[in-house]
Amino acid sequence: MIWEVFRQEKTGQYHTHCGNVHAPDREMAKQFAAIQHGRRKPTNSLWVVPRDEVGEIDAEDVAFGGTTDKAYRWATTYKTTGEDAREVVESEDEQATAERQRGDD
Amino acid sequence: MDLDTVKDRAGPREFSPADDLPEEYRKAATRMIEFHANSEIMGAYLERPFIRQAPSIDRKLACSAKVQDEIGHGQLLYRAAESLGVKTREEMLDDLANGDGKFLNCFHYEMTDWVETPMIAFFVDGAAMRRQATLRRTSWEPYAHAMDKVCFEEGFHVKHGEDILRELMSGSKKEQELTQAAFEEWWPRIIQFFGPTDDKSTHHDFAASVGLKQQSNDQLRNAFLDQYIPKARSYGLEIPDEPRIRELDDGTYEVEEGDLDWDEFFTIAKNDYEPGVGQINGRKAAQEAVQWVRDTIESDATAAGGHAPQAAD
Amino acid sequence: MATSLENPDELDERERRALETLLKRLADDEFVLAERYTEWQVRAPTLESDLALANNAQDELGHARLWYDVLGDIGFEERELVYERDPADFRHSTLVERPFEDGDWADAVLRSYLYDAAEEIRLESLVDSTHPKIADRVGKIRSEEAYHLEHAQNWLERLADGDEGHERLQDALDRLFPYAFTLFEPVDPDVEEDIVDLGLRDATLEEMGEEWLSIVVPYLESLDLELPADGRVGDGTDEFEFEVTEEMLPEERGRDGTHTDAWFDLYDEFTRTYRELGRTETTRIMDKPE
Repeated sequence: MIWEVFRQEKTGQYHTHCGNVHAPDREMAKQFAAIQHGRRKPTNSLWVVPRDEVGEIDAEDVAFGGTTDKAYRWATTYKTTGEDAREVVESEDEQATAERQRGDD
Repeated sequence: MDLDTVKDRAGPREFSPADDLPEEYRKAATRMIEFHANSEIMGAYLERPFIRQAPSIDRKLACSAKVQDEIGHGQLLYRAAESLGVKTREEMLDDLANGDGKFLNCFHYEMTDWVETPMIAFFVDGAAMRRQATLRRTSWEPYAHAMDKVCFEEGFHVKHGEDILRELMSGSKKEQELTQAAFEEWWPRIIQFFGPTDDKSTHHDFAASVGLKQQSNDQLRNAFLDQYIPKARSYGLEIPDEPRIRELDDGTYEVEEGDLDWDEFFTIAKNDYEPGVGQINGRKAAQEAVQWVRDTIESDATAAGGHAPQAAD
Repeated sequence: MATSLENPDELDERERRALETLLKRLADDEFVLAERYTEWQVRAPTLESDLALANNAQDELGHARLWYDVLGDIGFEERELVYERDPADFRHSTLVERPFEDGDWADAVLRSYLYDAAEEIRLESLVDSTHPKIADRVGKIRSEEAYHLEHAQNWLERLADGDEGHERLQDALDRLFPYAFTLFEPVDPDVEEDIVDLGLRDATLEEMGEEWLSIVVPYLESLDLELPADGRVGDGTDEFEFEVTEEMLPEERGRDGTHTDAWFDLYDEFTRTYRELGRTETTRIMDKPE
């Protein structure tokens, strides 16, 4: 049985996928993962998930975020005046980054 | 983990579902996150009619996307609350329907006209963003993670709300007057968003001591006023005379608490305020009307669950 | 092969009317369907399904926006097309204007299926449109519609599996099917002929209707649903003919300007702010579509 492994480096961070292991059950999967994926990189926690339980939908199945113009859902579309609150500026910056990564810009 | 250890360790994103946390912490966190989640749902409920009433296609799209986001925030927050192991999402949504779930004061009022939309989308959401930004450092990691995504999305809501305000205040005289009237009606409620002053707040001390809450009501209210009073003025809105707000020498504000209607606030807090009751019941009716669908898909899920790999344990 | 109708200034009266009629059919269907879908926001069965339907509503509205924009090339503005237009001049099928009963999710997903199956056929027939802007926009729209169709089918299959769901689906089908036929009704038979002759669309309404029947009838039957009319040529065949008789159609067809009362109420609601604030133009947030 194959188990997908997700690693969290430090308390409070996200668990991100880092690899997988063969193991007969969850207990063994955790033990194997601790060595295979936690022995060198900083690790606070690992999750193991049976691979068969992972569903996938990819960019061939669906156009993530749509194909027509969705500019209305981005803060960067709105031209307002004056200084914005710090948290609004941060949000807008994060959105601008996401838009660039999507290639919308 | 005992409570003293929790208080000692209570840093940002410190605790996760892997930790064995005392009941006091889990209950306080559940109450706080459930309130937040309920507020997303009831805010969306209030704004939904304005998807239809938006005066252009682009505005309609933005309003639909905003209401969609609020429901999405509810989804994230109920999950963060659920992960404390105190209540399931279904229990929280049922409590909201039954009038036992609490939510933000502003969403107990009626909203009937388009000119009111920026009162929520700009001011209330602006206030919410102030608070949410601080909650990215809350001690319950799933809550902080939910806040990452909420804060990422919410900037659009505030900017769109501001854009509607800008348009109304640069529109016809009638639009400007109606908007000013709406502002006067909503302003005291918006100030009350942050609750009573710190010395009157009941839950703050514990929530702060275990790192759930990062800033006090007074700090948040000050930061909000500091940013949004100039914004309101810049669009030509006049700040109402009441509640009296004094700007102090250190740049902070002091709101004359006696000018605000706290009886109404606490009636609302008990879910006894009439328009709010109607809104709770309206959502309840909608939730009940589709119970049959949930029953249908849940019985499917139970059946499918029988085939899930059991080797795991 | 008909010639390109690219330049709006060079269109004669007949070409202009055909283009306008085709676009109004497209845009009005999407706009009104979206308007109805948004009623499910904050009312869908679960939070996740709420998000998904809101997505579809925004997609449809975005498509309406693209088609209304093409109408802009022949002189129409959004305010005239939506907010100041006589409600009796809207050309959408009455399928999309029908109100939802509270909690009738079966109606929502069945309506979506009936519509999206027809929409796929219609979009396919526009791929080589002689109006280049129409042909250009079809691709983007189709890729979003694919999700809608799958979404509807996923739900139909799950609902049809339960007793209550099945009963509600049958009930919705009995009610909606006559209205669905109006998807293929003419605005004006002569103009409809022109639309095909000019190559704006390469299939007639009857051809599209027939293809639609050949897809939706077997599929709905596979869910153990009974069709009020199936268009089969002889028993047990898989050949279909789109012969719609007067009895099969509802009184209000939409395309010809006849609408159910629910439409006029809906129109009053979505034009309310525009009217009450005395607006004379509609706000644009996004750039004009490319």
